[in-house]
This record gives sequence, C-alpha cells and structure tokens, in this order.
Amino acid sequence: MRILRIVSAFLRAAILKETAYRAELVGNLFRSVIGIGVAIGGLAVVFSHTSELSGWRLEQAMVLLGVYYLVQGIVQTALSPSLNEVVSEVRKGTFDYVLLKPVPSLLLSSTRRFVVWHIADVMLGGAIIAIGLIRLEAQITFGVAAIFVGVMVGGVAIVFSIWLALTTLVFWFVRVENITMIFQLFFDTGRYPVEIYPFWLRQLLTFVFPVAFITTVPAQTITGREPLVAIWLAPLIGVLALLAAARFWRIGLSRYTSASS
Amino acid sequence: MIVRRATLAGALALTRAEVADMFQYRVVLFLYSLWEVVHPIVYLAVWGAIAGEGEVGGLRLSDFAAYYLTFMLVSHVTAAIEIYTFGPMIQQGELSPHLLRPMNPVWVAAARNISYKSVSMLLLIPVWIGLVIILRPSFTITAGSVALFLVALVVAALLSFLVGTTFALLAFWTTRSFSFWEIWIGLTFLLGGQVAPVELLPGFVQNLATALPMRYTLGFPIEVLLNRLDPGELALGFALQFAWLIAAALIVRAVWRAGIRQYSAVGA
Repeated sequence: MRILRIVSAFLRAAILKETAYRAELVGNLFRSVIGIGVAIGGLAVVFSHTSELSGWRLEQAMVLLGVYYLVQGIVQTALSPSLNEVVSEVRKGTFDYVLLKPVPSLLLSSTRRFVVWHIADVMLGGAIIAIGLIRLEAQITFGVAAIFVGVMVGGVAIVFSIWLALTTLVFWFVRVENITMIFQLFFDTGRYPVEIYPFWLRQLLTFVFPVAFITTVPAQTITGREPLVAIWLAPLIGVLALLAAARFWRIGLSRYTSASS
Repeated sequence: MIVRRATLAGALALTRAEVADMFQYRVVLFLYSLWEVVHPIVYLAVWGAIAGEGEVGGLRLSDFAAYYLTFMLVSHVTAAIEIYTFGPMIQQGELSPHLLRPMNPVWVAAARNISYKSVSMLLLIPVWIGLVIILRPSFTITAGSVALFLVALVVAALLSFLVGTTFALLAFWTTRSFSFWEIWIGLTFLLGGQVAPVELLPGFVQNLATALPMRYTLGFPIEVLLNRLDPGELALGFALQFAWLIAAALIVRAVWRAGIRQYSAVGA
C-alpha cells in the first residue's frame, strides 16, 4: 500500500508539473497523428499488392500497429523518463540521493517521472486497435479481452526489463546515454508481424530480444488468430524477465561508487 | 552559385575540424548507422514475404534485396541532419559567433553534414558487406547506370541538404520546427521510395511521387543504379531532380535572408 501511495504521489506531482506545458499535448498529438497516419498509409501500400502478409490481413496488421503505438506510448510516458534520469545521475554522482531515501532504489528509480503528454500515443494506439477490431467484426468475449490484457502486461514487463537491464549497464560503463537506442533499434521491427522475417531473424526476435512477445503475440491474441503456446508464455516470460532484470540491477548497484570516491 | 576561393578554403578547414570532432562519438555514430540498416531490412522482409518464390510487380526477392541494400547506402549519403545540427544553433543563440566570420554559417552545417557522413560511413560499410553476403541481392547494374547513379546521388545529397537546411531555418520563427520536419519525413517514407520502390505505388500516388521532390532525395538514385527506368523516365527524372535542386537553392536563400533579418540572440 505504501508503494501505491508513493507512486500515486509521483504521478500527481508529474501531472501538476506538466500542466504548465499544455501546448505540448497539442504538439505531441499532432506528431502522433502524423506518425500513425503515415504508418497506416504504408500498410495501405503494402496491402495494395497482396490480401495477406504472412497470413495477416490488413485489419489484423492494423491492430498490431495499434499495439506497437500503445507500447511505445507507455514506454515514453512511464518507463524512459525515469530510467534515463538514472543514467545521468550515476554519471554525476547524484544517485546518492536516491539511495538515501527510505524507499527501495529500484522502485524510486523506475517510477519517479511521468511525461504524461505521451499518453497521446497510448490513446491513438488504442483507437487503431479498436478500428481494426470493428472492421474485422471480431467477437471479443470477456475471456479474450482478459487474456489480451494479460498478454499486454507481460509484453510491457518484458519491455521494462530490457530497458532496465540496458540502464543497469551504467554501473559498469558510466557513459551509456545512448544505449537505449538499442532497444528502439529492435523494437522498430515490431511494427510488422514477426512471421515476415527470415528464420534466423525470427529466432532472434523471439528468443533473444523478444519483440515478438511485445507486439505480435498480443495482436494475435485479440484478432483471434491461431492461439499459440506463446500466448501463455508471454506473461510467464514477463515475470521471469522482471526477476532477472531486478537481480541484475542489484548486482549493478553493488558496484556503484558515487562520484570521486 | 559562385563560391569564392577563401570561402572554399574555410569550408575545408571547418570540415577537417568537424571530422576530428566526430571521431569522439564513434560508438553513438555506429548505433545511428545500425538504425539506418534496420528500417530497410524491415521493408525488405515485408516485400520478401509477399514475393516469396514469385514476384511482385516484376520484382523478385533478390531485386528487393538489391533495392534495399542500395537504399541503405543512398539514405546514408543523402540523410539530412540539419534539424539536429543547425536548428539548435539558431534556437540557442550559438549562431551569433558564426555570423562574425566572413562566411555564411550554412557552411558550418555543410561541414558537419559531410564529416558525420564520412565518419559513420566507415562504420557502416563492414555491416553492409556482411548483409550483402547474407541477403544475396542481384545487382542489375551497368557501367552507364553507375555513372548516372553517381550524378543522381550527388544531386540527391545536395537537394536533401538544402531541404534539411530550410526546415532547420524555420527555427528563426518557431520552436516547433521538428513537427514540420516530421511531415517531410513521413512524406519521404511514403512517396520517396522507402516503404516501397516508387514503381510499386498505386497509380495516382505514383504520379504524385514522380512530381514531388521526396523521391529525388532518395528513391531516384536507386532506380537509376538498378536500371529500373526507361530512357524517357530517366530524362524526366533528371530534369525534375535538377529543377527541384534549383528551386530548393532559391528557397533556402530567401528563407535565410528573411530569417536573419529578425534573428536576435539571447541577451540582445
């Protein structure tokens, strides 16, 4: 309960702080609309030459794109602002102040900041998913919706774990401002179903850097494509990834020596 | 455009300094280069998945491989980075010291552009060669197409630089030049030959892509190299590419003159 209170206090503070920059919402919304419009235009070009892409119909690919933007929005709202701050604090030595507070360092480091305007991506992503589903005339039962939410939570947990693990490298290498670009590099392959990639890349994107579980699997779940074992695996992998990343964080933390010591 | 000798010498010195500076950031530059490799691979995979063993609009998998491998190099050479390098200079008032020098600050942007590309190209080439070995492209090139390609590539790089500079100069008036730039990037993605080779765009969109400038900063040189155009299309393409280059040069000049007149540095 105390954890919930702390996180909601951070969230409240973030909202208060960012209402000072209301025009940002318009700006971000504008950019998100352009980005998503272009991405859908791209899908239209691709599907003008085929009726299905590795077994995915246009509407299903749209749902997948919606999932991509939804996750992207969550990352930019809640994950990257806090964790990026860790990188600069460790470099400057001000990470001391995080360690001094009577709250677990991992909790504090990952929930301190929210850039609420990026919620625009989350909303638009949700809208694209809804449009895709309506055009598919999908019958979404309560059960399917529940599984979808579970799989999405698993996917976000995987994203968080990867991001946290990349951030934790700061304890060894200090100058890693751009390391999270590696995440974006792989994540961008998730705009399309993982089935389109050649065998070796598909393996890489499923088992080593599991983008497949972040966009393809949730989209599969909700559009009623063949239910795979993967659907049950996603939340499980999410939990395992979280545990591993938290363990890695603790190992990294023990190497922290502050500045000039 | 006539360039004085002193200006040229100055530009050369600037470029040398910028290259030395760039080498400090080789890891970041390497990551950026990888980025430019990922997007073509995604679209190569998309079209490869559709083509399978057959073909799409007359293109086989190996043709797509050749197209997108060439794309990686062309998009690298023609990338416009001015919105990141030149725009912030204007916004943060760093332009002022450059205005005191006896040459136009646009040369600073040019020097930075060239140094960024030459250093990161060194890092990109090994990755690219590895991909050529994996992806087995069929490069349908001839001596003539290579020669024409080099012309189209240089013009594309110049045009792209001028367009990038124009958008960066919008920083004289607005703090949101990024939003405008993203519209350009989006249009280039759709019409410039990124999501698909222009010849695969549906009817009227293809005509639009032929008329607008985006294709001439990216897709056109690739089509020239791989012999995808008949003589008529080739002539029309070059004519439009040069026309857009001249138009862009005039626009940059006009925007620069209007912008510098109302520039005021921080603290002025």
